[in-house]
Amino acid sequence: MNQRLLIVTGKGGVGKSAVAAALSIQAARRGRRVLAIGMTEADGLAFHLGLERLRYSVTEVRPGLHAMAINRPEALDEYLRFQLGVPKLTRIGPIARAFDALASAAPGIRETVTIGKVLNEARSNNWDLVVADAPPSGQIGSHLRAPRTISELVGTGKIREQVRWMHDHMADPARTGLIVVTLAEELPAVETAEMLEWLDAEELIDVAAVISNRILEPLGASVPVGTTGAVQEAAALHAGIYREQQRWLKTLPVDVQLPFLFGVTGPAEVASRLADVLEER
Amino acid sequence: MSIPILVTGAGGVGKTTVSAALGVSLARQGLETLVLTVDPAKRLASALGVQHLGGEPTANPDLPTLWAAMLDADSSWDEIAKRHASPEAAARLVNNEFFRTITRHFPASQSYAAAEKMADYLESNKWDVVIVDTPPSAGGIEFFTAPTELSDLIGGRLFRWITGGSLPGRRELYNLAARPALRVVDIALGSDLLERVTMFLFDLRTTYDGLRARAKEIEKHFRRSITLVVTTAEPAPVIEASKFFQALPDVAQPPKAVIFNRVLPVAWEKAEAPDGTPRLLARNLALWAREARRQEQVRDEFAARYRTNVAQIGWQATAPTDLDALGSLIADVPALTAKGLGL
Repeated sequence: MNQRLLIVTGKGGVGKSAVAAALSIQAARRGRRVLAIGMTEADGLAFHLGLERLRYSVTEVRPGLHAMAINRPEALDEYLRFQLGVPKLTRIGPIARAFDALASAAPGIRETVTIGKVLNEARSNNWDLVVADAPPSGQIGSHLRAPRTISELVGTGKIREQVRWMHDHMADPARTGLIVVTLAEELPAVETAEMLEWLDAEELIDVAAVISNRILEPLGASVPVGTTGAVQEAAALHAGIYREQQRWLKTLPVDVQLPFLFGVTGPAEVASRLADVLEER
Repeated sequence: MSIPILVTGAGGVGKTTVSAALGVSLARQGLETLVLTVDPAKRLASALGVQHLGGEPTANPDLPTLWAAMLDADSSWDEIAKRHASPEAAARLVNNEFFRTITRHFPASQSYAAAEKMADYLESNKWDVVIVDTPPSAGGIEFFTAPTELSDLIGGRLFRWITGGSLPGRRELYNLAARPALRVVDIALGSDLLERVTMFLFDLRTTYDGLRARAKEIEKHFRRSITLVVTTAEPAPVIEASKFFQALPDVAQPPKAVIFNRVLPVAWEKAEAPDGTPRLLARNLALWAREARRQEQVRDEFAARYRTNVAQIGWQATAPTDLDALGSLIADVPALTAKGLGL
């Protein structure tokens, strides 16, 4: 995970935003200048950074740790002006609206605006690390594939010239890595395996790590024979979840296991405790 | 008419399992019950007796009052086009290269497809209740706002403006690139693509009247629905659950109950490992006791804040894989019986 851009994805509910926040917090603690970007409309990244919500303009969360969220109208405005060179004096409103409507029908264009913003920040000299809290695994494919989709779809046009560098930047394992977060449970494990297979075939981005979240330690010992009630039940549940998790872990090439966190009271605490765990590694 | 029960909540909290469990329980109480689900785990799908996506509702061989259907958003969209556009336009739409993209791009695409299916099944009057396992959303109530948002998008100023303001159905060729705003888009995307997309939008706009009328009907179903919010005691899902409690009264009905999933028994709070228990084991047991205390606190705070029924489902090490296991998940929960739900 030494790349300057880490794109974090995973099935909904696995703790993708928590892991993205934890990676950002841990890097910032080590003195790196970090930008965390929320790529979707959900506020998960904001909560895990201890904020109510994020804006398009970058805010400093704590020394070294910065955050923003991609808001489509603003990202589009910036894209049209700086990437496509719409002149300053032009009223951008109607153009942006027309572009957005057309982009909602033509594949790859909206995604290019979003992923383009992330890639642009990553290649600027402003940050040592950019962590993107990306769309869930069901939608990440169209984002990662956006540059290729456009070069297939658009014969001429300025946007076609744009996507070349995006594709190269994303496909370069020295610069960009994908982090796939999962749980050791049936649905997330199956979805993760399918996604890894797809990623392997498409060769769009290097998978920097598969992170399995909420993993229990072994129970330690079995409870003494004859124990009943709560102690016996708790031990049985622990052992049962542990067994189920080990079974699904075997189906995935997991690089990092993050622990199940007992007793957490808020999302910011989740992210900061996961950052502690990453720190110890 | 059939009563809709809408099961909402954050991703990963067990909405699908709860919907299935509720289906089994109501079917066993003698109600003809349909569970409309999105993406169940294989083992759960086979427990419900459904094998493939997009099929018609099928009755469970072991429990004939329990029906289930799995939603396939793509094929639902083909049906939506056929229903709301003229036959010629519908044929062009479903074969159009952009149709899939726009239906998948529309943020609440799967939600809209599910809502239309729900309305169809409700209106067919074949079931007493239709339980909808609402599709995952980007946070919030998009299942409920999707119908209006979609018809607003298609009928809105934007598409009208791009397609030149002509009446729906009138395919009038004109020089697109002559319009200043489109000229920039033309430079960006190339004229060929611009023209293809615009022609497509002409056809899409013809669905507007149908979609708008349907959206109004779907909204009426929402307003007479029973809503439930599923969560775990984990911090992020609880925040999502709060959002549902704040927003649902405006678009549907106030939730009948919050259902906490993966609940640890209150008795565990006092569980103490016997003397001589190995250190790691003792530590693990203490963690579960602490977690049980924290969970109870979260539930109590939630109940006090929203003055709601709290239903609890115990934490299972392995997902239930047969009807009995599903049914027993909520058998002891009074708020979720037919009577508790006011059916």
